[in-house]
Amino acid sequence: MCAATLTIPSHFDADLAAIRRPHDPQVPPSYWDVLEPVLPKVSQPAQYVGGEHNMSVTPWASARTRWLLCYPDTYAIGQPNQGIQILYELLNERATSLAERAYAPWFDLEEEMRARGIPTFSLEHHYPLWAFDVFGVTLPHELGHTNLLNLLDLGGVPIRSDERNLDHPIVLAGGHAAFNPEPLAPFLDAVVMGDGEEAVLEIDDVLATAKTDRVEGRLTSRVELLERLSGVTGVYVPSFYEPRYAPDGRLRATVATHPGTLPRVPKRTVQDLEDFPYPQKQIVPMTETVHERFSVEIFRGCTRGCRFCQAGMITRPVRERRPETIQKLVTEGVKDTGFEEVGLLSLSSADHADIGDIARNLADTYEGTTTSLSLPSTRVDAFNVTLSNELARNGRRTGLTFAPEAGSERMRAVINKMVSEEDMLRTAEIAFANGWRNVKMYFMVGLPTERDEDVEAIAQLGIKVYEIAQKHGRGNKATVSVGGFVPKPHTPFQWAAQDTPEEIQRKLDLVLEIIKPYKGLRLRTNDPQEGVIEGLLARGDRRVAPVVERAWRLGATFDGWHESDTLPYWHRAIADSGLSLEELSHHERDEHEAFPWDHLDAGLDKQWLWDDWVDSIAEKPLDDCRWIPCYDCGVCPGLDIAHDTGYTNPETRGPTLPIINSGPAAGPLGGSPDLPTSAARLDGDA
Amino acid sequence: MRLRIRYTKLGRVRFISARDLGSVWERAIRRAEVPIAYSQGFTPHPKVSFPDALPVGHASTGEYAELTLTSEIDPGLVLARLSATLPTGMDITTYLVVADGSPRLAKYLQATLWETAWPAATADEAADLAHELRRRGDALMAADAVQVVRHRPKGDKVLDVRPPLVAVATSCQHADTGTPPNTTFATFRAVLRNDGPTIRPTDLVVALDSLGDMPLPEPRLYTRVAQGRIVDDGILEAFTQQVEPLDAGRQVEAA
Repeated sequence: MCAATLTIPSHFDADLAAIRRPHDPQVPPSYWDVLEPVLPKVSQPAQYVGGEHNMSVTPWASARTRWLLCYPDTYAIGQPNQGIQILYELLNERATSLAERAYAPWFDLEEEMRARGIPTFSLEHHYPLWAFDVFGVTLPHELGHTNLLNLLDLGGVPIRSDERNLDHPIVLAGGHAAFNPEPLAPFLDAVVMGDGEEAVLEIDDVLATAKTDRVEGRLTSRVELLERLSGVTGVYVPSFYEPRYAPDGRLRATVATHPGTLPRVPKRTVQDLEDFPYPQKQIVPMTETVHERFSVEIFRGCTRGCRFCQAGMITRPVRERRPETIQKLVTEGVKDTGFEEVGLLSLSSADHADIGDIARNLADTYEGTTTSLSLPSTRVDAFNVTLSNELARNGRRTGLTFAPEAGSERMRAVINKMVSEEDMLRTAEIAFANGWRNVKMYFMVGLPTERDEDVEAIAQLGIKVYEIAQKHGRGNKATVSVGGFVPKPHTPFQWAAQDTPEEIQRKLDLVLEIIKPYKGLRLRTNDPQEGVIEGLLARGDRRVAPVVERAWRLGATFDGWHESDTLPYWHRAIADSGLSLEELSHHERDEHEAFPWDHLDAGLDKQWLWDDWVDSIAEKPLDDCRWIPCYDCGVCPGLDIAHDTGYTNPETRGPTLPIINSGPAAGPLGGSPDLPTSAARLDGDA
Repeated sequence: MRLRIRYTKLGRVRFISARDLGSVWERAIRRAEVPIAYSQGFTPHPKVSFPDALPVGHASTGEYAELTLTSEIDPGLVLARLSATLPTGMDITTYLVVADGSPRLAKYLQATLWETAWPAATADEAADLAHELRRRGDALMAADAVQVVRHRPKGDKVLDVRPPLVAVATSCQHADTGTPPNTTFATFRAVLRNDGPTIRPTDLVVALDSLGDMPLPEPRLYTRVAQGRIVDDGILEAFTQQVEPLDAGRQVEAA
């Protein structure tokens, strides 16, 4: 053989302290030369090379703190994530820090990496995970947990926190699923609760000082470093807490056991989004990803109060970005990136107080160009169709998506999704009359108090919409998408029992049976088994951690992927642990039962959550607190924050439109069928 | 206004697939504010065309593209802007303004000069390998037909590499930079006609492998050097009308 042999460096023979030094560090080895020959053999190699427009490349030695930010899934899924991009930009803007990115390698590359000793690497320099100071991982959902362990293991970092020392990176998690990090507690060093913008910069400061102190002998142990990190508001260090169990094995409480640690860790909330107009320099991928567009978060938080929705509960209150900032971010971003599409993101985008103006201004800006606009996460109402018409001025009116979430009026009262059937049908009527050709509806089954008639109502609503579709054109279509409900922490439904996959399947079959005769009405479902792992990890406590480790050791990674059938590993791991899904997921919890996340404070008062759960069973809806007086969910006073919207703070926000109540009493949400392009929902009863 | 461009695909961007190439260019074109024309219809596409696909992972200094614009521009100025905003490794090296009624771009790209490179630990090792490659290359040219099996997901395909093969040459080259740096390479260059069945340099390596007793080491890099018209000592590059020599060593000496 004449191929040049490459010596592969590893953390075993590297001088880790020298690589970590804040000043004059040794530069870690780049694994590009070893990776490159492997790439032609793997699928979609462009996901591993970096080099995208707006990638930020900082020399190792010119930064004092060095972060590896990670979304624990493939590049295609993870790259568009806004959270990572915001923190990447914020950290790289600092003269003293550097942030690179990592994603999970697909099976084919992982095999090659393990065979050749290539560790988890960054895309910018292909530096190894083990060389960085922080491994910052977002946990947007629960199905990346095994990938996180795998990335650590591949990256030359002990998976357990207690096996790491000052020469290892701090493993820091954030994101929505980090609001119950207990199933990952032994593997994480620290967790950021809530908005990351301010917290990450404060952590970066702590780290910079700690690194200097270490060099100068003032910091000698990892525990000291963790103590300093836990001093940052919103940072939870799992090893400083211990769960206490009752004799019957039930959790009694998770208590702070380390001196000087808060009994409850409050989440961080950025009060004014205007302080953080990010991400601006968005990465432009060179290979296919799930969302290739310039995205602007138009507001954060949602107080619609849907009882199943974790995002809506943990991100309160509502904080809107100003229309002029949105316009500026979009126009500059489109010019800078060359993206063909703009996404206006939030949890319910049509709810921005100024959405009408925002949409009109952007539509004017891009009229006659090839730039398209999209508004994901919208409500079921006519105003949305008007908005979508506006945004689709340039393009085709293909599909509109709505989320009634439940089929019957009764069920929607239970989940507090205040949409009437009349709303849905009228919206469909307007959509198809306006030339839209496909209406897609999202539903869930497995909701609390659900009866078969509620499930059947999904199919019946779907059929009614389909009939409207057909009235407007034989080619028009309707799609019913049904998922199985998974109860989440920090929501009124945290007490609910999760349906077994068998029961979910039975309900899906009920829907299928009814809609089968309607050829143009499509049903999309997920495998009900997928909810099993998600449910276990969503509400599990620290006893689930060994299950996560065991499932991973048995071979589980990419739990959310059809290509990866990991359920048998999980069932085996659960059986080995002596835990039961029946106890963990499928039984309803008691009023005074302790939750594994009770010591993590999303601001929500537990009594309020319970009362809302009781109201839910009683089919009592609750209106949005942007439009009714405060009902004391606990967030604003508890965390000393407030709504920041055109609805609630008109005096600080300049002129705004009059507000009307929504909900059944005030008529269907969202105005009349003949809405103009402004936020007519706010113009009074049209 | 129509422009024809010759550009490179070197380094990391080699791994951009032919499928993703269009959107990489479209976004760069938008960033550079090139007044590109769009197709009519429901989903307008920018009028950028690439005459042929380069296999993923292969490098190239001989990629071509054709752009249709909505207005007359100063091509030097605008293309410099475009070249600067294309990802690193993609650089526009030459352009031509296309006259009305000009034949299709593919007509100018009659043949391709390919290079396959094997890194060697030492200069001697490279010389030995080059010697072996030369021997096998001669055997390849002397044969009337050399059949190879191309493995594909859909099933194997048997191909004769000989019909489009015009000429081959072998040499040793030293590279101070690149990956790995400071390495001597044994290189094998071949001119292949573009008409008829497509034979790739990977097929040629399989053919060379079959023409000796010992298996050849795995090559490190395949490069599409240039495309154009066949001349005695290489390829007359389509845009510059300069000869890209078959013998890579000669080019190195000249440089």
